[in-house]
Amino acid sequence: MKIKIINNLKKVMVLFLLLTPNSLHADFFEDITNQIVDNPKRLSYGVSVTDVNQDGNFDFVVTGFGYLNLALSYEDGKLINILKQKKFTDEFRRTIGVAACDIDKDGYEEIYFLNTDTYSGTKKYSDRLIDLENNNYIDLFEIEKNQRDLNLTAGRSVVCVDRKGDGNYGVYVANYGGPTRFYEYDNDIIVDKSAQLNLAKITGGRAVVAGHIVSDKIDVFAANERGANFLYENNNGIFQDVAFDYRIDDEIQNGRGTALSDIYYRGRLDILSGNWLGYHRAWVLENNQFKDIGNKDFDKPSRIRTIISADFDNDGFDEVFMNNIAEPNKLFRIKDDGKFEQINFQVGLEANGYGTGAAVADIDNDGVLELLVARGESKEQPLTLYKAKVNKENKYLRIKPLNKYGAPARGATVTLITNKRKHSKTIDAGSGYLCQMEPVAHYGIRKNEKNFKVEVKWTNGTKKLFNVSKLNQTITIKQK
Amino acid sequence: MKKFLNLSLIIFLILFQLKSFAEEKNYHKELITDWSRIFPDKNRNAAGPKFFKYIIDKKITYKDFIEFNKLYCAVSGSLIDPNSDSEFLFVEETKTKKKICGNYYRCCVPCSCDLMKYSETQKMKHEFKDGLKEFYVLTIKNPCDKQDFPNRVNKDYFCNGKKINKSEVYSLDDRIVIGLLHNGKSCEKDEIDFVKSHQVTGRYCNLRNNTPLENLDAGMGDIFIKLAR
Repeated sequence: MKIKIINNLKKVMVLFLLLTPNSLHADFFEDITNQIVDNPKRLSYGVSVTDVNQDGNFDFVVTGFGYLNLALSYEDGKLINILKQKKFTDEFRRTIGVAACDIDKDGYEEIYFLNTDTYSGTKKYSDRLIDLENNNYIDLFEIEKNQRDLNLTAGRSVVCVDRKGDGNYGVYVANYGGPTRFYEYDNDIIVDKSAQLNLAKITGGRAVVAGHIVSDKIDVFAANERGANFLYENNNGIFQDVAFDYRIDDEIQNGRGTALSDIYYRGRLDILSGNWLGYHRAWVLENNQFKDIGNKDFDKPSRIRTIISADFDNDGFDEVFMNNIAEPNKLFRIKDDGKFEQINFQVGLEANGYGTGAAVADIDNDGVLELLVARGESKEQPLTLYKAKVNKENKYLRIKPLNKYGAPARGATVTLITNKRKHSKTIDAGSGYLCQMEPVAHYGIRKNEKNFKVEVKWTNGTKKLFNVSKLNQTITIKQK
Repeated sequence: MKKFLNLSLIIFLILFQLKSFAEEKNYHKELITDWSRIFPDKNRNAAGPKFFKYIIDKKITYKDFIEFNKLYCAVSGSLIDPNSDSEFLFVEETKTKKKICGNYYRCCVPCSCDLMKYSETQKMKHEFKDGLKEFYVLTIKNPCDKQDFPNRVNKDYFCNGKKINKSEVYSLDDRIVIGLLHNGKSCEKDEIDFVKSHQVTGRYCNLRNNTPLENLDAGMGDIFIKLAR
């Protein structure tokens, strides 16, 4: 009798385990923080990925709040700070937001440092726009002709916008308690065009992203605090706020980390948007309105900062990394039907971490993304660096679009088309809260996936389609 | 017998799993999402009636209706955190003048007092997705003829001239419905005693409801009082 009961119990256990949701995993990330050379406790904020020293490799730019801004370059298996020039490192202006793009059309990206020495309203120090000239890092805002419209309002995030699709990038500055700014070269002078472009609204600006959201040009979505979000539809380079019409205004929540993500793997960019101690959103466009499809695990309120959508483990499905401050981070996998499956993990959880920003890049060029997490705000902490534990059989494909000037085509959309999916990714223009990812579309490859084609939708809306015959490579494609 | 037991266990486990996979409706999130539709001019002062109208116009079940109505304060127009406790109180029924007891979900204590003093309750019937139901609603008299209509309240929400604006708020017998009295029923004597001796609905409300309006400095109730008195 006892044996019969035990056998029955065994059957029940097997059935239970088979039916239990996939929640037990070996750890997802490996901690490789020891690759960062000289990593003291500090107050760090935004992180961007750009080629700081123009050597053809991407570097992490990490901002410091009362600490040095860093340029972490990968050399001999280590991340080393390569810059000491004061215009760049400037610890006194308290940098929090950062984004890079080629605003002078020389093929290399300038770096916009958003400085914030006060929480809201008027600030003491203006922002910096760093350019490398003759091995010297200069601040373009220190040149007299560019000083007419300096930003003297506290802000949070910055995003690069090629609003006309001609490679002439401007920088949208999400200010807090003062008007939004939009800096662009005009007759060789950097001016603020926010008013003439319908962007000069006053709000509690937090996160901002730009890409192909509702039009075929570069639209802007800004997640705000103490006010409605903005969704700026691009109409021939001029913007119109259509957030209410698209039901994405989220009036009484406080926006934070935001990322463009193809949630349904259907070949279009939708929006992930975290709210501070509010419901996190997974907005997908249906019948000209955004519908929130985040499930109760995903939308659970938290002290959210940056949100990253990326395929860390090269399995062909994007993960969503939620960087929380003074609260454990979260990780989800987006399944084929837009369902968010929470991934249990320990390494990278950072239960006592004061996460302020994060960015991904394949900084060591091995085909697997590294995740750099910045921490600080109210507690000095070192940077952390993680990498997913990847099945060695998993393959990848990386697409690096360059615009006609040879600079990263920030804002362009890359779509991988196979027998399994039509998967769009943005070439990140910034700033899913203070940060900016590498300007590469990184795809892991699914099991039994074949017939690889890639479509690049440039910032002007035109498309280029090509076949891919070989995996495990980075393809650079230049706009004609 | 053994086969039956095994089959039962399998069915139980499958049902257990299906239940755990099913997404529960998040009423609070839905109200937050639609807040700017409910209050297009962003003014929610004393605008509980706007919430009620928004909810009653939805094609929902009676359970949904009950749950939605736990999430806003009929007096102030504030959203209430999910899982907040309710106040047990009574309100006078318009037709019978009897005391009707029930639960009221409020944003802060003074709203319970203002509700008890300035609102009334009426029975209402409504056809939901799952059938016709009857329940008690909280109402205030038509404020549209007031000379001193409170200027912090959006009059367009409530009034069309001197009439109630029925496209914006729900009305019963020329009274505006401001919310739902949960679990409403005629009060028993011991329930009335409980309410009258309770530290909020008894002692505190006695104090508040005997304080001149110009001296009230707590809650949004003073706006509501000017609207409802």
